[in-house]
Parts: sequence; structure tokens; C-alpha cells
Amino acid sequence: MGKAVAELRSELRRLVAEHVPPDFLGAFTDDPADLETAQRFCRLLAEHGLLCLAWPEEFGGRGASAWEQTAVREEMWAHHEPRGAQYMGVNWVGPTIMRHGSPEQQRKHLPPIAAGEVIWCQGFSEPDSGSDLASLRTAAQPDGDGWLVNGQKIWTSYALMAQWCFLLARTSRGEKKQQGLTIFLVPMSAPGIEVRPIRCLMGPHHLNEVFFTDVRVTEADVLGEVGQGWSVVQEVLSFERVGIARYARCERLLLAAPAVLGDEWETLPAELRGRWARMLTHCRRARLLAYRVIALQSEGQVRPGDAAAYRIAVTRLDQESAEVLMEIAGLASLAGADGAWLRGEVEDHWRYSQASTVASGSIEMQRILLSRALLKAS
Amino acid sequence: MNVELSAEALEFGRQGSRAIEAAGGDTLIQDSERSRASSDSRIAPVLADLGAWELDPRGDADDLEAAAALCRSVGYWAAPYPVAERLARPADLDVDGLVVVAGPAPAAAISGIDLRWAAVTLDGARATALARAPLGPPRTTAFVAPLDLVHLDHDGAGDLALALVLPCWTLLGMLDRAIDLTRNYVRERQQFGQPLAAFQSVQFQLTDAVVERDGVEMLAKYALWSIQAGLPEAADDALALRMAAIEAAEVTFRVAHQLHGAIGFCDEMVVSWLSRYSQPLRRLPLGLSATRDALTSRLGRQGLTGVFRG
Repeated sequence: MGKAVAELRSELRRLVAEHVPPDFLGAFTDDPADLETAQRFCRLLAEHGLLCLAWPEEFGGRGASAWEQTAVREEMWAHHEPRGAQYMGVNWVGPTIMRHGSPEQQRKHLPPIAAGEVIWCQGFSEPDSGSDLASLRTAAQPDGDGWLVNGQKIWTSYALMAQWCFLLARTSRGEKKQQGLTIFLVPMSAPGIEVRPIRCLMGPHHLNEVFFTDVRVTEADVLGEVGQGWSVVQEVLSFERVGIARYARCERLLLAAPAVLGDEWETLPAELRGRWARMLTHCRRARLLAYRVIALQSEGQVRPGDAAAYRIAVTRLDQESAEVLMEIAGLASLAGADGAWLRGEVEDHWRYSQASTVASGSIEMQRILLSRALLKAS
Repeated sequence: MNVELSAEALEFGRQGSRAIEAAGGDTLIQDSERSRASSDSRIAPVLADLGAWELDPRGDADDLEAAAALCRSVGYWAAPYPVAERLARPADLDVDGLVVVAGPAPAAAISGIDLRWAAVTLDGARATALARAPLGPPRTTAFVAPLDLVHLDHDGAGDLALALVLPCWTLLGMLDRAIDLTRNYVRERQQFGQPLAAFQSVQFQLTDAVVERDGVEMLAKYALWSIQAGLPEAADDALALRMAAIEAAEVTFRVAHQLHGAIGFCDEMVVSWLSRYSQPLRRLPLGLSATRDALTSRLGRQGLTGVFRG
């Protein structure tokens, strides 16, 4: 990817080594210090111009290439995403506001994201609207010069710590369920919003319920046009599909395994070492499938089937590599935080990977998208 | 990062595909069962006219990509001619082609081709190779014949990667065709009053095959780049590609047969021929498990080159 990218990787690894504790397993743990680490690290990246480096300069970025942005994604995910929840603001909330926001919304929201000071959550899924997102029922009813929002969101990551919500709600009913949806940028401090955390396999903060009771929003909170939210959501989801470089963490952990195991490596069953080699090949495969999508995106082209193929490959890699790593680590992976293999990274990776084929569009939805691209009339 | 072949290489591949189609297309493999000499006499001249044997894939990066694109087209038609093997010929031996061999019973799908062959092992030992008579008719042997080897030297380490990679491009072309055939079939075939393609279980099988095929395509391009760049680990990259390609072939041909149903086994259907004649590429020089063992052994503790092992 060139010298600039290699230098960028070196700089990012240096910053991680100097500012992220070696036992950091992400911002979302029961230890508040982990969140503080992520918040500090975001501000540090922002000071170095690395948080939003692919953003245009007018919005606080450096106008860097898509490949430099890719290197940031890979390095951050490989090291347990020390940007915490802010990767969402950088990857897609900010870019979506750049494309669809009013000048006032851009002035209000982009500088705090670029400075690493704000956390966003995504108010999409509902109890009865998961993969079938467009069937959502959270409603914004007209009220005076604005709307009153009532309804419930669920699986909302980081809602308890977020300052803002990227909310999708129904403002009218059209012939199709995709019509009449509107995006609102809502402060989580607004009266009538209640967050209830859900304890889950991945750890705290990953899943929450968010209840909206007569939450008042106005025209100034609408992103884009009223009733046109669905097309924006489609765009958001396409950003999100290549937004997480899952293969990078898989590769880093797999490559670390032989050194951690020392002489025991040679005593592993040959079949298990073969699965390790296969997973490394699949890491490369997923990375190159991501690069295919990114190369096209950087030329302004989108092939939804390619993005879906990447997501299918990378989410399966995430889970299969976790199984291989757990088997390589053996009981050491379950030895508790201090004694755990790779400082608990393998066990964390396994837990987190269980949601790979569900989060951000299930693997079934990716297969539907890919089959649509394949089977459309040629 | 460029994950596509050059426009010139792609055009060369298209020209190759048109030339093979004009020479007989799907009938070539069918005719070859009756007389390989006859099918050779139709394929070899068009490849010569195309300039295939003037390519220098070991010496020229553009020619390497063109060679890969041509092999993919050859695979698409299951054209019964060892194009990849001829294009992989070593630069320093006076032979017409090179095959990779392994194990105590070396073999290759080159019976009935009147050319001078060399063989190379995964350890880089080279030999001259003479194909004996195949052990059965093409319908069951797919032109695979035992080889008589006469040892030459141990200078073949640098020959190995290309000789592994180009046949994977041929296999990739076969996967392209299997997917195209299956996609077209499930769109046309009606059951329960609707096309098979309307059933999600059918759609999902097809997407699994496509993800495998697309992954092989990416690894195949990477392995070419590794050869172009003269990387010392080019043979590792070639074996990684080969392992993924064999896996992908298993998935893709399983899906192709399943979705075609009984008609897919019949001689009138191309998928039947394609499936049978994919066998040599999938089994030689080593099958899936042995290829994975060879890769694992070569990787040792280092792993594959990637973002975290520069």
C-alpha cells in the first residue's frame, strides 16, 4: 500500500504501545478506566490529526487516502479498538452528516467528532424489527412545530455513554414500508429518553434498550429530508459493512500464537496447526475482499454484492479463527484476566466473535444482498 | 492496492476465450474423449495464433498477468490442453512444459500430448518427465497418466510457484463456469410454479459458492503479485492459494451438482463434463489435506505474510 501507509502504521503502533495499557481489551468493560483510556486516546489521535484523517480538511480531517483510512481501521481493530465507540462517529456518522446535513448541523456535529469528544449511538433496531428494519414502529407524531417521538429501540450499543443518537423513526406511512422514515439527530440528554443496559455475552455497554417517551424533536434535528430516511440508511449500512477490519485482529492473534506457546507449539496436533494455517489464508482472503470493495469505493463505485461477499467471508473468519485460537490456547484461555492466554485476548475474541454474523446486518441479510446482485436479470 | 488484473491482460483473456469458443468451445472436451489428437489439433493452433507460446510469464510482469487470464479462459471452457503447464515451463531447460509432482506415484494430466515435459517437486528437485499410458479411458482418468521421471537437478525452487499458481487460474475459470451455469439453470428451471432461484435455500447455496470463488480470485491475484515481486515466500503464497482453490472447488461443484439436480449428471449438460475434468486440478500434485500439510510445514511458526508479519 505504499510508504505513507507503512509510516502511518508505525506511528499508530507507537501511539498504541505508549498510550494503551497492554491488558486493554476495549473500552467496554466493567472497569471505568478502560473507557477513560479510549477517551484519552481519541483526543490524542485527534491532536495528531489521525482520528479523522480521511475526512476533508474543511471538516477537520487531512484528506488522506482510502488506504490510509484502511490502515487506521486495521490497526485500531487489531488492538481492540482503542477509539472505543467513537469509531462509529468517524466511520459513518460524520461522513453521513457531511453528505446530508445542513450547514448548521455540520458546524454543530462535525468538530466534536473530529476532536474525539463525542460518542454516538445508532437508534435502528427494534424488538420486532431486526433484519426487517424498515418495519420499525418508533413513531414521530407531528406536534406544533416539531414531533413527539415514542417507541423503543434495542441492541443499541454504547447508548448509556452516548451523547447523541442517530435515530430512525416513522413520520408517516407510505405505500411501502421503506417510505415515511426520517432520521433525527437527538441528544441522549433529551427529556423522555431512558436507557436500560442488557447484560450479555460480549460484556457491558454492547447491548441496551432505549425507550422514547414524548421526546420532542424539531425540524433542526432532521438529517436530510423528512420521509427520505431509508435511502440514507442504505448508504450508512454500506459504509458500515467495510468499517470494521475484523480480519486484522484475527491475523494479529493467530500470528502471535506460536511465540506465546513456545516449545508447546510443536506438540499441538498437526491437524490443529493445519487449521491455523488455513485461518491465516482466510485472513488474507478476507483482507483482499475488503480491498476490492475499498478500491471501488475510492473510485466512487459501489457493488453491493462485493461488500456482502466480504462481510460473509470476514464474519465467518472471525468465528472460525476464534474456535481455532481457543483450541490452541486450551484451558489457558479460560484462566481469568491475569493468567489468561494473550492477556485474555483470545477469550475476549471468542465471545465477541459470536455476534459477528448477527451484528451490522446478519449473514443471512448479506446472502440476500449477494444473491440479489447475482440473480438480477442480466 | 490493485486487486484486479491489468486491462490488457483481461482483454487477452477475453480474446483467448473467444478463440477457444470458435475452435469448438464445449465440444472440445467432449470430442477429446473420442480422440485427444483431434481436439488438440483444434485447440493448439488457435492458442499459437493468439501468441500464447510467445508469452514470457517468468520474465515479464505483463505477460504473467496475460498468462493467468488465458488460463482462466481455458478453465472456463474446460479446454483439454495443458496451457498452464506449458506456460509454466522453466526458463533454463529445453522443455515445452512443467508439472508439479509429489509422492511415490508421480502423475499428471498430460497423456497423449506429444511434448517434452519437466517435473518439479515441492522441494525443488527437477526431472524430465515422460507420460506412460493412462490407466484407463479419459472418462475415468481425465487424461491423468503415471510419469516416468529422470532426475535432473535440485534447481527448481524458483520454478515451483508459477507451476502451482497457473493451474489454479485454470481451476478458477472452471469455478466461474460452474457458477454461471448454475445461476442460469436456477433462473430457468421452474418447480412449484416458480424458478428455483426464488427459493432462499437455493440462493444461499449459490452465494456460498460465489464467496469461495471470489476469495480464490483475490488469492490468485496476490500469488501472481508475489511472483512478480520475486518474494522469497512466493511458493508459500502459491500453496495457500492452492489450498483455498481446492476447498472452493469442493464447495462450488457440490453446489453446482445439487442445484442442477439429476439433469446435471447427464452428458448433455456442460456441468457434468466440467465437474469430471476438474478432478486432476483438484487432486494433483496433492489433494486438500496434503496441500494444507505442505503449507503448514513450510509456514512453521512464521505464518503467512500479512499486515502483522511484514
